[in-house]
Amino acid sequence: MTTDELGRDYEDGEVVFREGEEGNVMFVIQRGRVRVSRTTGEGEVTIATLGPGDVFGEMALFEREPRSATVTAMENSRILSIDKTRFFQNISRDPSMAFNLLRTLSERLRRIDKEFTRLKKRRLEILRSGMDLKETCRVILEEASDAVQAENGSVMVVNPDDGSLDIVAAYGTDTPEKARLTLGEGIAGNVLATGSAELINNVTVDPRFKPGTLSITSIICVPLSSETENFGVINLSHTSNDRLFSKVDLQFVKSLSVYASVAVRNAISLLRLKRATEFLDLGITSFPGAGEGDGV
Amino acid sequence: MIPAMRSSRGTKPDQGSTGDFRSLITTPDAGQKASLSLSDGSRIAVIGGGPAGSFFGYFTLMMAQMLGRDLDVTIFEPKDFLTPGPGSCNRCGGVISELMVQTLAVEGINIPSSVIQRGLSSYELYTELGDVSIETPTKEKTIASVYRGGGPQDLVISDKDSFDAFLLRRAVEKGARHCARYVDRIAFEEGKPVLFSGEERLMQADLVVGAFGVNTWKVPQFEGLPFRYHRPRMTRTAIAEIALDPDYITERYGNSVQLFLLPVKNVLFAAIIPKRSYVTLCILGKAINRSTVDVFLAHPKVRALFPEGRLDRLACMCLPMMNVGAPRRPYADRIVFIGDSGSTRLYKDGIGGAYFMAKSAVKTVIMNGVSRKDFAGNFMPDYRSIRVDNRFGRFLFWVTSMFRKFGFLNAAMLEVVDKEQADPSDGRKILSAILWDMFTGNERYRSIFFRAIAPELVIKMTWSAVRHFFGGSHDR
Ligand SMILES: Cc1cc2nc3c(=O)[nH]c(=O)nc-3n(C[C@H](O)[C@H](O)[C@H](O)COP(=O)(O)OP(=O)(O)OC[C@H]3O[C@@H](n4cnc5c(N)ncnc54)[C@H](O)[C@@H]3O)c2cc1C
Repeated sequence: MTTDELGRDYEDGEVVFREGEEGNVMFVIQRGRVRVSRTTGEGEVTIATLGPGDVFGEMALFEREPRSATVTAMENSRILSIDKTRFFQNISRDPSMAFNLLRTLSERLRRIDKEFTRLKKRRLEILRSGMDLKETCRVILEEASDAVQAENGSVMVVNPDDGSLDIVAAYGTDTPEKARLTLGEGIAGNVLATGSAELINNVTVDPRFKPGTLSITSIICVPLSSETENFGVINLSHTSNDRLFSKVDLQFVKSLSVYASVAVRNAISLLRLKRATEFLDLGITSFPGAGEGDGV
Repeated sequence: MIPAMRSSRGTKPDQGSTGDFRSLITTPDAGQKASLSLSDGSRIAVIGGGPAGSFFGYFTLMMAQMLGRDLDVTIFEPKDFLTPGPGSCNRCGGVISELMVQTLAVEGINIPSSVIQRGLSSYELYTELGDVSIETPTKEKTIASVYRGGGPQDLVISDKDSFDAFLLRRAVEKGARHCARYVDRIAFEEGKPVLFSGEERLMQADLVVGAFGVNTWKVPQFEGLPFRYHRPRMTRTAIAEIALDPDYITERYGNSVQLFLLPVKNVLFAAIIPKRSYVTLCILGKAINRSTVDVFLAHPKVRALFPEGRLDRLACMCLPMMNVGAPRRPYADRIVFIGDSGSTRLYKDGIGGAYFMAKSAVKTVIMNGVSRKDFAGNFMPDYRSIRVDNRFGRFLFWVTSMFRKFGFLNAAMLEVVDKEQADPSDGRKILSAILWDMFTGNERYRSIFFRAIAPELVIKMTWSAVRHFFGGSHDR
């Protein structure tokens, strides 16, 4: 038990408040991290992750609306609460007390504006890219790493030609240029074979772990699958000792994988289709007498 | 209405009366008026880097930065706040009240665990006839105990950061300069104050902020002021640090500040505040000296809070002064006094008082100006509100001392609180809340006073007191 902290303890995964609840309290994080999320038609979407010094739940102070989002602790955290009546008594005595909060809010708004622009741009990108497999995987990875703040990540897809598991998109440091795994090998291979997602927090003692050049401390590995087969995995990992994933992180990546699976599936189909048409094209362009054939 | 009139006059002088306009140019007085505000490059000297001085530095720079103004703030503070012992400590109980903790959190100043000795959540009130426990309304730890310096004298190196060092660092991070010198003389040259340390001229300033508390060994001398700076009325207090095993403290004291309203001679009120590996005893009263501490510690209720035979190990001890009456005039042109060297809240939450007056001064100098008129119009209402509130406080403490003296009142109070605490359907718990606010510094004395005379409570108390007076305490 810590004796030198203020506020109250929240365990990893504990909900501070839920979307739709009544709220009369604002919170200030003293230690730890929380995830702010919202349920949409398609599932849970992370709006932000917050850390020490950050304020949340302040919207309930200014409007009589229920909580607009759910806030969940992402690790063991310490959070101080401030009640509405107290807050307004103080502000009415000294309005300048609200300056800091206003600054926080306007920063948040600025970030949301930026995010909005980015999303619009990305939508266009996705439309334009015509769901290219590489691009699809890159977008999935960006989405996943934004939400769980992983140090490394990759998306691997089964190569239809030889059945090996290839990295299609990756970032961070733990990704060898082209890791290839056959089904059943390593953690990723194992997840692909069993089709069940895993969160492993002491990676090195796991017998399936294939030691690479870096020491990995925490891994989330989630399969991409359709009703009939598993065709890829999303890997996220930490290499620093003090960073571990939580169950909430796993849950989030799992829900993301549902859409990611559909997107990857479509991209693969498109790729096949493209190849088929390329093949057709090829057939046409390498028509004898075209002159430019380089002997393919 | 009034600001609008003022600003239209300021921007279009030709529309005002010609007399006004001419006097602006010709009379030196009016000319000087116009320059009695801060502008880019203005220099502010803060004497003392305790809570009042650091808060002033921090918030001045914060507001100036928001407005895109460039001010130069220097804080003169000779103590390092990190060496163990009274020499580098701003002696106090080290309770940061619930209100202060929450206010600072909203302001973006979160007290780190490296500074917090213990997170606290309740008060234990001891009286001759019985004890009461009062919890924070939210049941979470919202009170911090801290050291104001490097900790007790017998520490070789301090194991924690100090609150005052932390605040001063925050001010420096915002852009204030820290100069580890004392200031002992302020003289005026061409209408602007100049600060001296011994014979050395430190700087000329556009504004001097006095934040040197009441425990200074060197009261700065202000030369050429239109009035004499009278130090606040003060009373002597006692603080003693007692070393205990951290686990013993956790077990015996829990998360509670221990308050005592016991009939010990000359003692009005005392508190023991649990720290990490010490507890801090503070005594307020009349004619306090070293022996008061011994007498107090010998009281059986107090003894019970210590393991056998450990009492004589005082790790640190001092007899600091406490501000109990503000000077009448805490300002002049280009000069303002805040914190303990100005006015603060009686007997409680001195750091909260320092914050409140520092912010009031900041708002005045940033939004209005630094002339005596600006202070009279903007800073004084806040200053006076504390003084008026302290009158209610004095009355409430007088009532409290009656409770201490008269057993039947004491018993009545205990009974009402006991009932309130035991009854989950009593959401209001009036008396418990009053006691909580009175000792924690959450509320102004004035509002506590009006709640204390609320009919419901008076009826409950009177009924209970009458029964106890006639010895009818059978249903307790
Ligand atoms: C027994 C006791 C217990 C208390 N308990 C609490 C409590 O639990 N909680 C609480 O909130 N308040 C408490 N207080 C009140 C609190 O200590 C003060 O209100 C608070 O410290 C005021 O802050 P300040 O910055 O005005 O003055 P100070 O904290 O006294 O700081 C003044 C600073 O100015 C510096 N200085 C002095 N002279 C000069 C000079 N000539 N040149 C340069 N620098 C100079 C000093 O070194 C010092 O650092 C207590 C007071 C006493 C006496």
